[in-house]
Amino acid sequence: MVKQLMITGFGGQGVVLAGRIVGQAAAIGDALESTFVQSYGPESRGGACSAQVTIADGPIYFPYIKHPDILVCMSQSGYDKYRALLKPDGTLILEQDLVKPVGGQDHFAIPCTRFAEELGNKMMANIIMIGFLAAITEAVSLDAVRATVLSSVPKGTEEKNLKAFERGWDYALATLKGRRNKAAGRIGVVA
Amino acid sequence: MPEPLKIVLFLCNWGPHAAYQALQDRSADIPSEIKMIRIPCSGRISKALLFKPFEMGADGVLLLGCRSGTCRYGTGTSAAEENTADTRRIMALIGLGGERLELATFLPDEPEALLTFLQSFADRIRQMGQSPITRRTRPIAEDTAAGDLPTTPEAIVAAHDVFACQDCGKCTSACSLALAGKSYSPRFMAAEIIAGRADAAAVRNAVNSCLTCGICYERCPSAVNFPEFIKSMRIYYHDREVAAAPAHGGFFQSMMRAMTSPTLAPQRWRQLPDTIRTRSRGPVLFFGGCAPYFDIFFNKFLGVRTHHILEDSLRLLNFFDVEPALLENERCCGHDLLWSGDRDNFLRLARLNAEAIAASGAEELITACPECCHTLEVEYARHGVTLPLKITHMHAFLEREIDKGAVAFKPLEGCATFQDACRQSRFSGQAALPRKLLAPLYGNTPGGLVDAEAPSICCGNSAWIGCDADSKAMQVQRLEKARRSGSTTMITACPKCQIHLRCAMEDVVRAKQLKMELVDLTSLIAKTIHWE
Repeated sequence: MVKQLMITGFGGQGVVLAGRIVGQAAAIGDALESTFVQSYGPESRGGACSAQVTIADGPIYFPYIKHPDILVCMSQSGYDKYRALLKPDGTLILEQDLVKPVGGQDHFAIPCTRFAEELGNKMMANIIMIGFLAAITEAVSLDAVRATVLSSVPKGTEEKNLKAFERGWDYALATLKGRRNKAAGRIGVVA
Repeated sequence: MPEPLKIVLFLCNWGPHAAYQALQDRSADIPSEIKMIRIPCSGRISKALLFKPFEMGADGVLLLGCRSGTCRYGTGTSAAEENTADTRRIMALIGLGGERLELATFLPDEPEALLTFLQSFADRIRQMGQSPITRRTRPIAEDTAAGDLPTTPEAIVAAHDVFACQDCGKCTSACSLALAGKSYSPRFMAAEIIAGRADAAAVRNAVNSCLTCGICYERCPSAVNFPEFIKSMRIYYHDREVAAAPAHGGFFQSMMRAMTSPTLAPQRWRQLPDTIRTRSRGPVLFFGGCAPYFDIFFNKFLGVRTHHILEDSLRLLNFFDVEPALLENERCCGHDLLWSGDRDNFLRLARLNAEAIAASGAEELITACPECCHTLEVEYARHGVTLPLKITHMHAFLEREIDKGAVAFKPLEGCATFQDACRQSRFSGQAALPRKLLAPLYGNTPGGLVDAEAPSICCGNSAWIGCDADSKAMQVQRLEKARRSGSTTMITACPKCQIHLRCAMEDVVRAKQLKMELVDLTSLIAKTIHWE
């Protein structure tokens, strides 16, 4: 099993931290192998930046990702730049309010920045996204990623971040449930 | 030896009485179980009177009237037909069996047919046996530990600290009844009771008329909990058997008292549509409430369909992949008995319900009725009945699920206003909850939801008591206000608001100025929600 995950967004959205948490959760929590490559520099002052995480159950020989299995886009520029690289059967996850997808491509979306603002701090958008992508892709286990979130965020903000994480996780479960029910023809309550 | 069977025969003075007399004159073999009560007209025997004998221990009830077309008063027979049909349906639903009640009509010269009919009915009751409703006269206070509740007016005043009343009059200026034009003052009532005049008829009537909506408590600077005070006073009056007669002839109180019988097995879930998925056991239990009974009782006038709220709730639970369990023999929660002062029977219901709920093994109970929710959550505990699970209102469940996201709502047209349920908005302090649910329904159309910021006035009644011209005036005011604000729809949160406001819309003179669409919030969500 090899899963290649790419997270893109603006510098400052917490893209790099999100990548590190997912990779660390896989390596320490789930006892898998993982590598983590971050591109920063001018990007961290704003502009498209990315984090590349590879998760595997055996040794990883090359950490750079050309064609990801999972692409997470938290900004329009990140989406524009990387969307062509996604594998044909890969999973595309978007920040619903910040990315306008080109029609036709199947994807999952979550308004994580709006949710973070509702929870009191838009810096937590990345934690919400981690919850969402973990539940959608099942790349890492719930316990592992939750424990890693708790150990990675600044002291004193654990409770808030846990709430943010669960917001994303619940939203993902609701999304999956909605897709399941829709596929079974149960679109509304009366229909 | 089993008790002898009892059949109450309501016998119209006119046609059938002559036939009955002919039978008596020749000492015909009238079944000994039949106790005859002579009445002026079969049409005057309301649903409440038809049901009352069962509450009091009868095993069968007969109503005999004049053959259609021969009624002395014209409409007696047709009224009797409607009353009997409705009561029979309710009796079937409550698990008593509709066959225990029968209406028949006879001409004066039909004694033979009458005798055959009486004998065959008595045979039927003998076959059905004793009614499952057992009448208990012993007060429950003897076997309860809750004997520490105040029982005298002085103790009640002290327990609720009514002395704190500063006589400022904010209660009167906010009271829904006073605003509707009734000469009514909570502080005056409090002063009279403090002064030791609790037993005066005027005070008793005032206590009875209170809507217990809780607006006065909201406004009171001394935080005198007036609704709780009224509740205790009603228990005091009820215990001394001087409580005023409830509305609708006391039908609902009768029915709820009948449900305190452990041997009765109500079947309110019998007619659930097949598309609704439920299971016999599970972590989530859905508690329906009395809506199905209300619908039958009021169908003639109001065309209410409050049981749709229950069905829509179940469908919404299904929509979110929750298959709830139902209590097979669910009983009334007891709210109306408690608020009309009958604490003993409330406790009997509470204990039976608590037993059934505990046996269900569920972890969470969801109900769409604000009265059930408040009663199960707060009043049961207050009266020493503990429930081993979490009580959730349907709205709270919906908020939780909708918050998780991935759902959207079909846009609604027109403009609507919201009618608060007193037990939700004021008693449970949840006024914000329905408004939060309403926001996405109407949020995108400017002016979609009007005049709904602050909790609205009362729907005009509570616990089926004290309905009068003033409560009707209040309902008319409420609807006129809603119409003036330009709303075409009124969204409600309690089945009783639906019934009371629909009743006001029946007004023969003003109907045109009052009619508007009434829809329950849960049903509205069920109608519009879909997966994104």
